[in-house]
Amino acid sequence: MSTNGTGTVSTGSGQLAWVFDLNKCIGCQTCSVACKVLWTRESGEEQQWWCSVNTQPGLGTPKGWESMGGGIDVATGKPRAGHQPTREEFGGGWDFNYYEVFYGGTAGKAHLEPQAPRENRWAMNWDEDQGAGEWPNSYYFYLPRICNHCTNPVCVSACPTGALVKQEDGLVLRDEDVCMGDRFCMEACPYKKIYFNYERHVAQQCIGCFPRIEAGVAPACVRQCPGRAVFIGRLSDEDSPVHKLVNEWKVALPMHAEYGTRPNVYYVPPMSPARLKEDMSIDTENPRIPNEYLESLFGPDVHTALGTLKSEMEKVRGGGKSEILSTLIAYHWTELLGPFTQDPAELTPVS
Amino acid sequence: MKIAKISGGASLADPTASAWASVESVTVPLQPVPLDAQPTSYIREAWAGRSYGKTAQASVAAATDGQKLYVRLSWKDDERPNKEFQDAVAAVFPDGGGALGTLGDAEKPVAVWFWENGRSGGNSLTSHGPGVVRKDPGSGLAAAGELAGGSWNVVFGGPLAAARSGRVGVAVWNGSNDERGGLAAVSRDWVSLEQA
Repeated sequence: MSTNGTGTVSTGSGQLAWVFDLNKCIGCQTCSVACKVLWTRESGEEQQWWCSVNTQPGLGTPKGWESMGGGIDVATGKPRAGHQPTREEFGGGWDFNYYEVFYGGTAGKAHLEPQAPRENRWAMNWDEDQGAGEWPNSYYFYLPRICNHCTNPVCVSACPTGALVKQEDGLVLRDEDVCMGDRFCMEACPYKKIYFNYERHVAQQCIGCFPRIEAGVAPACVRQCPGRAVFIGRLSDEDSPVHKLVNEWKVALPMHAEYGTRPNVYYVPPMSPARLKEDMSIDTENPRIPNEYLESLFGPDVHTALGTLKSEMEKVRGGGKSEILSTLIAYHWTELLGPFTQDPAELTPVS
Repeated sequence: MKIAKISGGASLADPTASAWASVESVTVPLQPVPLDAQPTSYIREAWAGRSYGKTAQASVAAATDGQKLYVRLSWKDDERPNKEFQDAVAAVFPDGGGALGTLGDAEKPVAVWFWENGRSGGNSLTSHGPGVVRKDPGSGLAAAGELAGGSWNVVFGGPLAAARSGRVGVAVWNGSNDERGGLAAVSRDWVSLEQA
């Protein structure tokens, strides 16, 4: 996706931000597929999932991304060396043995399988639903991930050709005519959400659906979510649920803030049932998803956020009202879309 | 170094063509583009403890058929291939008055003919520093390379006007070592280009 030749596009001003409610994400990958069919259907983009839903705990995509470095050292302000994810670490994008199965006269013997070495197989949701823990306290939750359109985008500052631009609306966009395919951005990004197109020799990542935003349409990952689990809005808009959840109520948190890039995708942390003790009595003190694990993802503020959610739920159970829970429930789905409520079906398609 | 005059440009475009055997070549020592000249703090930090630009030398030869300038660059590379980054080479011309050792700078660029293994043709670039490049579309540049016996031979065929400056430099990227952008080995001095 090229920008408009001036290096920027216009979608208004004020940092755009996403809030994913992990208590509502059902891991259906509808956001992933909505994004895939819209933006990465071309040859060379087979392995690209600008939006992907990982199961946590897990190795995710690319495989082991949380151990690949990059980002900014918060203490020194200096960028940290990172690993450039490889094709194998992203995985997927395989050819399958369709011909053998459907026309090879091997009925009952051959089955569909990727034509890739078995030992190296990995894909966007390869470890889906594995999670961690032992019965009866096993656990997992889903973590949708897109480019974080960071406030301090180390990908932008790492690029030698100036192909990446942080816009007024906060989106981080790439001019593919300027990108030389050097991939320093992929090394520097600590979230490993930048992909390489080996056919066109350019790096690519989530563009925040800016052509939709320009037309008043919410990004595909937001509009298509059947679980009403994701909000978009401008952080500076005090009427926006995004502003309220992040800045006012502080129940939506950035992931891995210690990476130092100030991401603009926020998460409402997952609540979980109480653990069961060995005698199968309920351990009311400890949730199934360990607090330490959530802290490793969302920082120490996760305890306050979870406490707020818990007390709001208790308030409602007691007959009270909760603006926080009403917002998260999103009784009217357009509440998720911020100012981008235009129905794309009413627009004239652009070729 | 003299630009050899040879009829039959088509054969000069082939890096293994016998026509090149009779063309004078000059071997030039290479040195890494300095780390402190690298254009972004990320690159400087990430490569502070890594060596790059280790290709020690390359040979350069030039010929013309009266229509185009052909530059043939050769260097030894016996490292195993890298799945992510490819070997690459450039012929550098001081058209904008820029320094060779840093591949130009913000004010004074250099002109670059760039070839990368696995990609068809060549790219004509303007370089304002290590890796700080812009593509020059429609340059009419062609390039072809072949690896044989542990050595690369790459030929560029481009506008004869590129020889007007009378000098050419060489830059080599070792893909096996993740070299790209400004992480290159560059010839220490320009090589003169003299009309035969």
